[in-house]
Amino acid sequence: MLKLEQVSKTYGNKSEKAVDNISFQVYPGEIFGFVGPNGAGKTTTIKMIVSLLAPNSGKIIINGIDNQKNILEAKKQFSYVPDNPELFEKIKGIEYLKFMADVYEVPVAERQQLIEKYLAVFEIKEAVNDPIGSYSHGMKQKLALVGALIHDPQLFVLDEPMVGLDPKASFELKKIMREHCDRGRSVFFSTHVLDVAEKICDRIAIIKKGKIIEVGTMAEIREKAGSQESLENIFLELTE
Amino acid sequence: MKEIMALTKLFINESWGFSKFLYNRTNNKKAFYKQLVPMIIVPIALIPAFFMYVSFYIALYAGLRMINQTSVFLSVGYILTIALIIIFGIMYILSEFYFSKNIEELIPLPILSRNIIISKFLSILVSEYVFTALIFVPALIIYGVGEGMGFVYACLSILMFLTVPVLPLALLTALIMLIMQSASIKGRQDMLRIIFAFLGIALIMSVQVWFGNHMGNANNVDFQNLMNNLLKNNESLLNTIGYFVPTSLLLAWTLNKITLMSLAWAASSVAINIIAFALMVLVGKRFYIKSIVRGKIIKKGKRLSQIETQKALGKKSHGVMAIFSMDLRLLLRTPIYFFNNVSVVIIVPACLLISLSFIKLTPEDFNSIRNFYTEMPILVNFILIAFFIFFGATTATTATTFSREGKASWLTRMIPISSKDQIIGRTSVAVIIESLGIVFTLIGVSFYIPLTLLSLVLTVILGILGSLPILLFGLFMDMNHPLLDWDNPQKAVKNNMNVVTTLFVGMAYIGLLLAVSGLLGYFINPWLGYGLFSVISGIMTVVFYKIIDKRLAVKLLNFE
Repeated sequence: MLKLEQVSKTYGNKSEKAVDNISFQVYPGEIFGFVGPNGAGKTTTIKMIVSLLAPNSGKIIINGIDNQKNILEAKKQFSYVPDNPELFEKIKGIEYLKFMADVYEVPVAERQQLIEKYLAVFEIKEAVNDPIGSYSHGMKQKLALVGALIHDPQLFVLDEPMVGLDPKASFELKKIMREHCDRGRSVFFSTHVLDVAEKICDRIAIIKKGKIIEVGTMAEIREKAGSQESLENIFLELTE
Repeated sequence: MKEIMALTKLFINESWGFSKFLYNRTNNKKAFYKQLVPMIIVPIALIPAFFMYVSFYIALYAGLRMINQTSVFLSVGYILTIALIIIFGIMYILSEFYFSKNIEELIPLPILSRNIIISKFLSILVSEYVFTALIFVPALIIYGVGEGMGFVYACLSILMFLTVPVLPLALLTALIMLIMQSASIKGRQDMLRIIFAFLGIALIMSVQVWFGNHMGNANNVDFQNLMNNLLKNNESLLNTIGYFVPTSLLLAWTLNKITLMSLAWAASSVAINIIAFALMVLVGKRFYIKSIVRGKIIKKGKRLSQIETQKALGKKSHGVMAIFSMDLRLLLRTPIYFFNNVSVVIIVPACLLISLSFIKLTPEDFNSIRNFYTEMPILVNFILIAFFIFFGATTATTATTFSREGKASWLTRMIPISSKDQIIGRTSVAVIIESLGIVFTLIGVSFYIPLTLLSLVLTVILGILGSLPILLFGLFMDMNHPLLDWDNPQKAVKNNMNVVTTLFVGMAYIGLLLAVSGLLGYFINPWLGYGLFSVISGIMTVVFYKIIDKRLAVKLLNFE
């Protein structure tokens, strides 16, 4: 579903690589967790996957499509919710959702049904006719999630999705992520909440200073670390 | 005092972006040069305009000297400066006090509210000093040199320069604070902001109209008498102006002739400014923080029923329409964008119409205008086309289209919308706004010239066609240099070099094209002129469209 091949990215200062020659794959039906300390390169990697940044080298293939060569087709394969979803403050929630449904060409009946469903799940139905500027951080995140789920994407990319969500919304999101993968689609998300990663991810990659230092299932990671401890302890050992 | 200094520095740093500039110098050379180049190019580009401005002052001084009225010279400069401070100050005050996000971070800190208010005011004042230096200092120097003034004049000039923006800004700030705290404007701050901006313009226009009328009456009464009076009494014009702007008298009495009394007048001027400043702080302490902690009140929509929700989502729109309606909504609902990008198409025709309405035309004058149009329609048509294209170039809608989205631009860059849809959607918004200006202008023109159907069709089509290359050039500029990192929408437009570049390049291009086509049409054949204009505009449109279409998708990957 998602394949990164030797991807690197540098910002202004050319000597320091934000992402350094990383490669990994996310398979269909898989929830893939991406963990690492602050500034390790998680968000940069995600931005390259969702076409918000161009890598300096390497390839990113989404559902068989190269996101550098066939940008538009690649964009149709995924949805993305950033860690701090800045949305257009002067636009109403309902206008935002219609915009998203239009650009992903979601049929009318389908959009009505999905939006109704997710608005109810995330409990923002009452606020949908208000300007986004009046929303709290959590509400904006919920609206961005609904907008991202409208077209039932092949790959669902989330950057720190649990930050800002209330416990119920967090629980519902985890359920949606699992259901999404059960239908053969994939979820790729970054998180600092290692308990969540340990519980819901099928596989995990750990990134440190731009390099992938570990990737695999929890069992594989434990085996390589030679420890039966929690992901938190293994993460602390690996990233020290 | 230390706290005020620290806060003022913080606000100035925030609005001018000094820290980021220095950070980029060592860590991000590309971004550093992107900031540095405009800092060098813009002042250089403005030198000719500044020279023209100074020349205007020199000519004004020479003219006043001929009629023995140089005493009014500094007052004219003072009034002009104050008028401009009021127009631009409204936006600065609203942005700094009410739309800047830093206040929410400062209120929980153990800082006196008085210090926050003073610091915010001082940060605006510093910006206004830069502005005042350019607008008012030339007048002070020209007068000083012209009258052979010495050291005391120079010292008093500096003192008076420092007082000039304080009074209008302090009173304006206090007034805005009073209105903004009013309960009746709950949820309508955006609308209020637009109203304030238009009020500023209306104020200036009223002054202009008043002067127009006053001068007109003077002519009717006894022009010879007036001139005699002016020549005999060196201060008669000064007294007339001083009647309407009393503080201009204080400035004139301080600087026109340096005597011991000048010091007393200077002291009075300083005292008045201190009183105004204290009044502003008092009003701020009483109302400002209270109106902020009351919360950001945004007017909420009504709760939608299931049927209403489905209806709102019901109609599937094409990608072009999705981009078009999103861009248009942002433009119309964000006051700064509305004022900068839309209002010009309302204000310019309105100003022209009002100014023309004060010129009393006789039936013979009307006939002459109509005869001119009948004999030389091509000239009138090309003037109208130029006017319509002016709207396209000055609204800067496409030149700020990505910049206006700021940090939310991730959304329109991530979605699967083709370059073609992005270009057409965004350019259509600009065309719609331009069309508004065209309609208003045609309504105004119809009072004076009965345009034929052919003229109407030709001017509208060629006006829009001629503006397309400029609109696309604006889009091209913003695609290559979007200004996304802002905390206040004002910066997306006011600090955006794409606006200036598009305006200058666009006007130069269209000036040349109109001149060549107009001459060709006038001297050889009108249709040859229109034809050349259409062909060149068509070719330029296609060329820019192709370039943007080819590069936009890749450019969207490199916005950060």
